[in-house]
Amino acid sequence: MDGRIIVITSGKGGVGKTTATASIGAALALEGRRVAVVDMDIGLRNLDVVMGLENRIVFNVVDAVKGKCKLKQASIKDRRIENLYLIPASQSDNKNVLSPEEMVSFGEILRKEFDFVLMDCPAGIERGFENSVASADEAVVICAPEVSSVRDADRVIGLLYAKSITPKLVINRIIPEMVERGDMLNHIDVVDVLSIELIGLVPMDDQVIIATNTGNPLVLQKKSKAGEAFRRIALRLNGMTDLPIEVPQAEGHFWRKIGTKLGLGK
Amino acid sequence: MFNDFLRKMMGSSPKSDSKDVAKKRLKFALIYDKLEVSDDTLRCLHRDIVEVISRYFEIDQEAFKMDIRRSDELSALIVNTPILSAKRHISPTGQR
Ligand SMILES: Nc1ncnc2c1ncn2[C@@H]1O[C@H](COP(=O)(O)OP(=O)(O)O)[C@@H](O)[C@H]1O
Ligand SMILES: [Mg+2]
Repeated sequence: MDGRIIVITSGKGGVGKTTATASIGAALALEGRRVAVVDMDIGLRNLDVVMGLENRIVFNVVDAVKGKCKLKQASIKDRRIENLYLIPASQSDNKNVLSPEEMVSFGEILRKEFDFVLMDCPAGIERGFENSVASADEAVVICAPEVSSVRDADRVIGLLYAKSITPKLVINRIIPEMVERGDMLNHIDVVDVLSIELIGLVPMDDQVIIATNTGNPLVLQKKSKAGEAFRRIALRLNGMTDLPIEVPQAEGHFWRKIGTKLGLGK
Repeated sequence: MFNDFLRKMMGSSPKSDSKDVAKKRLKFALIYDKLEVSDDTLRCLHRDIVEVISRYFEIDQEAFKMDIRRSDELSALIVNTPILSAKRHISPTGQR
């Protein structure tokens, strides 16, 4: 059976596309699926360092698309997680070296090799976006609970609908304490504004930066709330559609408040 | 729910609700974004409207004005043109 190609996109930069691609990809591979994560941010590659595979790049996605190497040669096998492969971006080209038509053909090759292909889309809605979406069957829109991010997500959702793709939503970088205070849009607000299906809520988590520092997979980190949230998103994408969506909670909020009340500081 | 209740009971940290402002602004921004028409579209519309009106009236094309006005509830296309005179003979197709 042919694999599914899912584009991870957002419009805005810095909301967590690359983090989500690496983590969801790793979690799907841990479920036993054959997974390729493709860095489509040509010229600004990052997925390789987030995954700790930057020292093993020989060929890249441009080489593979242009037929300068075999797909196998451009796919870097993760040694910690079975069945996980990275196809890195090229660092020397720009986004215009690839065309959506070429990506459609490349997608056909990928689909034969893998169960899941995750396209890590660059920021923006220009050629890089077009290339990332060209071969995709599905889309996951990553959005932070901020005005600018939600607005960009809405724009991207419109563009995806125009390509007959019904996107699903992940809200990332949630700070539960701020939500509780009423100083951050909660997930109900965001879903209300964007009106698409929600498939996950990911809190702000120091472990994300620690995992990126070391190049270790976030989903293997014990006690990472973000890692756990990404794992649950992967399970939903893998067919466990009735897995409940957990709403990130502020840590020990009850006692913290009591403490604040008693003048024990924040 | 329970947290809100507790907070009220203990009279601590009043809710500031800046997120409600954010949500309201977002909703309007998205409506506005979708009403935005490209300059090209406006130019074509301008040309077509002038052409249609010119079939029936002699108009001052220089003074012709077209604008999209937006308010909270609705947006309106406003066309304003001085008419110099009516045309006498109008063929059924509107072609002169
Ligand atoms: N849930 C999170 N908690 C903490 N930091 C995060 C989280 N998600 C993303 N980040 C951080 O935010 C920054 C941008 O994330 P990245 O995945 O590179 O975004 P994008 O690919 O959309 O530009 C990175 O430094 C990343 O470590
Ligand atoms: Mg990125």
